[in-house]
Amino acid sequence: MALSRQIRTLLRCTVVAVLASVGAPGQATPTTPSTQNPQPGPIQPPPLFIVIDPAHGGTDAGAALNAAIPEKDVTLVVARRLRQELIARGLQSLLVRDGDATLSTDQRAAAVNSMHASLYVAVHATSQGNGMRLYSAMLSAGKDSRGPFLDWETAQESVLARTRSIQNQIAASIQQTGFPVHSLIAPVRPLNNLIVPALAIEIAPTTADVSQLAFSDYQQMVCATLANAIASVAPQLRLRSGLSP
Amino acid sequence: MIPCRLLIITAILLALAVGMGIYLAHLRRRETSTRSQLVQAEHVSPPPSGPAEKIALWVAHDDTATLQPESITVPFSSGRQQRAEELMRALLNIYRSSESSHRLGAGAEVRDVYLVDPGLAVIDLNAAFADGQTSGIFAEELTIVSMIQTLATNVPGLTRVKVLVDGKERDTLAGHVDLSGFYDVSQVSTLAKQLSAP
Repeated sequence: MALSRQIRTLLRCTVVAVLASVGAPGQATPTTPSTQNPQPGPIQPPPLFIVIDPAHGGTDAGAALNAAIPEKDVTLVVARRLRQELIARGLQSLLVRDGDATLSTDQRAAAVNSMHASLYVAVHATSQGNGMRLYSAMLSAGKDSRGPFLDWETAQESVLARTRSIQNQIAASIQQTGFPVHSLIAPVRPLNNLIVPALAIEIAPTTADVSQLAFSDYQQMVCATLANAIASVAPQLRLRSGLSP
Repeated sequence: MIPCRLLIITAILLALAVGMGIYLAHLRRRETSTRSQLVQAEHVSPPPSGPAEKIALWVAHDDTATLQPESITVPFSSGRQQRAEELMRALLNIYRSSESSHRLGAGAEVRDVYLVDPGLAVIDLNAAFADGQTSGIFAEELTIVSMIQTLATNVPGLTRVKVLVDGKERDTLAGHVDLSGFYDVSQVSTLAKQLSAP
């Protein structure tokens, strides 16, 4: 058991290093529990950690929020801010990309699955709507187990009940702050392909001015609200990860 | 002194030039009018090929961020295939109207709807439809769910729907909503209920 845990941790470290090198050529690598302050001696199981995925990037610019703001830029900045907010609340987190890298949804899913993260959060931005939308995979929860192998197209079904529970708690927590939030399902990759609880968030401006999405004050407020909500479900994530709450 | 014959020829040529100019302007006006009539002809209501019937269309409203069922009474074919195509045409006519808050791109059309037993429908959009779609999870979701839920409500027996663009598979509609797989009608109905809540 101890050996397999060590192997898993080593694998996680390797994937994090690969992601950092892919995501940020020439830039600082993201701070992660495994890459910062390497300690000699036996490897400890990492604490609960959250993977944040800034959607799009590289040749995939995402939506043109306005003539000057591509979605990929907003998602990256928001993801970095969210990571800082989570770290400030004692929650380890890392980014799938920390630069303008092109990653397919399959590449993202494969990397995240090998890390066995406690929670995956994809960040999107849109010019339409008001506030924040939280999405979980458009699949059926509670399907029978199919043995040791999972269908790539429906891998999320194995943890969908947990995902929906976390989604509802996060939405309820955000609602208490008065920030507009809606909880939905959506056919968006790579949610279906993930074996860990997985959500996508879509941030919209609260005014008619789309450029609000690029304002640091607005981004900071959204990220702090979301980080508080994620922190509120941390005990549940820890329990499911086999860590003490 | 200019010869009289030359003056007459010049006058005739001038008259001809003016006449041809007027005729050209007339031709241009007629061409513009014909084109606009052709464009309008592409966006006509479903042809009255059957008895008038009350049907429910699931219409996306971007202003309220909801999907709402709306009833219309129009002549519809009894055949499932024609019925499916007429439903999509009726839905797109709503989105083309100036009152619609959910706008589609210029030239957006549903090329065909194929019904394949058991329970599969294939909706084939044209490239202008996908290219003109507003990019974003919610915006794309509204469009897809509106079409599938409208079909599922009015064509009995549908269980799965596949969406193609120009007869080919495409990864996403406009960068977000997945088109690579089949849509399960029961899951789309669940989403339609979520989207119809205020």
